[in-house]
Amino acid sequence: MAANPIDGRQFPYVAGAPDEATQPLRVVPGYPETARRNPSQPLVRRPPTLSELTGPLEPARRLSLLGGDLAGHGAQRAIGQLMRLRVRVLDEDGSPVSGALVEIWHANAAGRYSHPNDDDHAPIDRNFYGAARLLTDESGAFELRTIKPGAYPVPDSGGWWRPPHIHFSLFGKIWLSRLVTQMYFPDDPLNGQDRILNAPPSAEARARLIARMLPPTGGPADALVFEHQIVLRGRKATPAQA
Amino acid sequence: MPLIPTACATTGPFFPPRYIDAGCNDLSRFEGRAARGEPIEIHGRVLQEDGVPLNNLIVEIWQADAGGVYGHPADPRIKEADRDFLGWGRATTDPEGAYRFRSVRPGARPPRARHVNFQLMASGLMRVLPTVMYFESEAGNDADPVLAAVPAARRALLVAHRESAGVYRFDIRLRGERETPFFEL
Repeated sequence: MAANPIDGRQFPYVAGAPDEATQPLRVVPGYPETARRNPSQPLVRRPPTLSELTGPLEPARRLSLLGGDLAGHGAQRAIGQLMRLRVRVLDEDGSPVSGALVEIWHANAAGRYSHPNDDDHAPIDRNFYGAARLLTDESGAFELRTIKPGAYPVPDSGGWWRPPHIHFSLFGKIWLSRLVTQMYFPDDPLNGQDRILNAPPSAEARARLIARMLPPTGGPADALVFEHQIVLRGRKATPAQA
Repeated sequence: MPLIPTACATTGPFFPPRYIDAGCNDLSRFEGRAARGEPIEIHGRVLQEDGVPLNNLIVEIWQADAGGVYGHPADPRIKEADRDFLGWGRATTDPEGAYRFRSVRPGARPPRARHVNFQLMASGLMRVLPTVMYFESEAGNDADPVLAAVPAARRALLVAHRESAGVYRFDIRLRGERETPFFEL
């Protein structure tokens, strides 16, 4: 149990300061919005208190679940390469984070989002449902059935194309566990030039954002299977930290 | 060997509108029942550099209930928690950068003063950006250890202005003049 330096209270579950090399730069070269929206002043390091070491455990009681099938909501299957994505959500101890709310969204096979602000030329697929929302199971796992997203150009960016990617928003055990991230596909030729994928300085941290494809021989006949792991901040406090 | 947390990334500009569920910015009611305590409203605008309002930004809040209790097992007082209060909500900004929550006034839990935790997510924010809102004219603000960690000259930027009874205005400036203090996540 870690002692709270403020009032001596013991916390069962804690989160330390992130390792900066494994997290993205806040202001990313070639991504102008980052330079207008990220604070110029140093971030304040705060002492841990109950307020940050608790958090919403059941946001799904306020947000309705939308399921984990983005390809099969319409009258017909969504257009594109059918895939299954198997994700495990763990904490820093490697313990599964069960019952965690996960939101997953991505572009359709043509690289167009189901969003009023996406005015790209690519067509909308009315059978593609662009937003999943589900809970992890007891082993911290969930499976998404979807189509592989397409790449798309970032407007007015001088030739920056986003590689195929999937967005995730996850809630963990405490307020400090909240994570928004993106996942990429192995060996995509656009991965090397993507300004967002390459924002973390650590090559290992970048490599962990790329899913693994399972051998097609072992999977379902109609879909490729990808695996991915997401690690949320937070770990059980140990006596060594008390 | 501990695992290393996954690298964050921006939400991008296309966070699905259907993720903003009806009523998810109203913490004062939960599953049809009213939470205990004094209803309040928190509203404000989110501005980027040069005062330009930011549309489509996601604001999430987390706070104690009216008795200062968090509905979470790490709180030893969880049995006293208000079951009609989830403590969490989500809002999005409109084209004027405006967001709005309804809630109840959180109880103080010394040494923490009454406060509301904020997390911001938006296109161009590579990481979830946390800040904290305090209430105007609270005696406990001076003793709050998180507010005390902010350079003294900037603390007032975290104190919401009371516009009328129960209505608080908390503007957030992401960068530039009168920049809101933000915290490490």
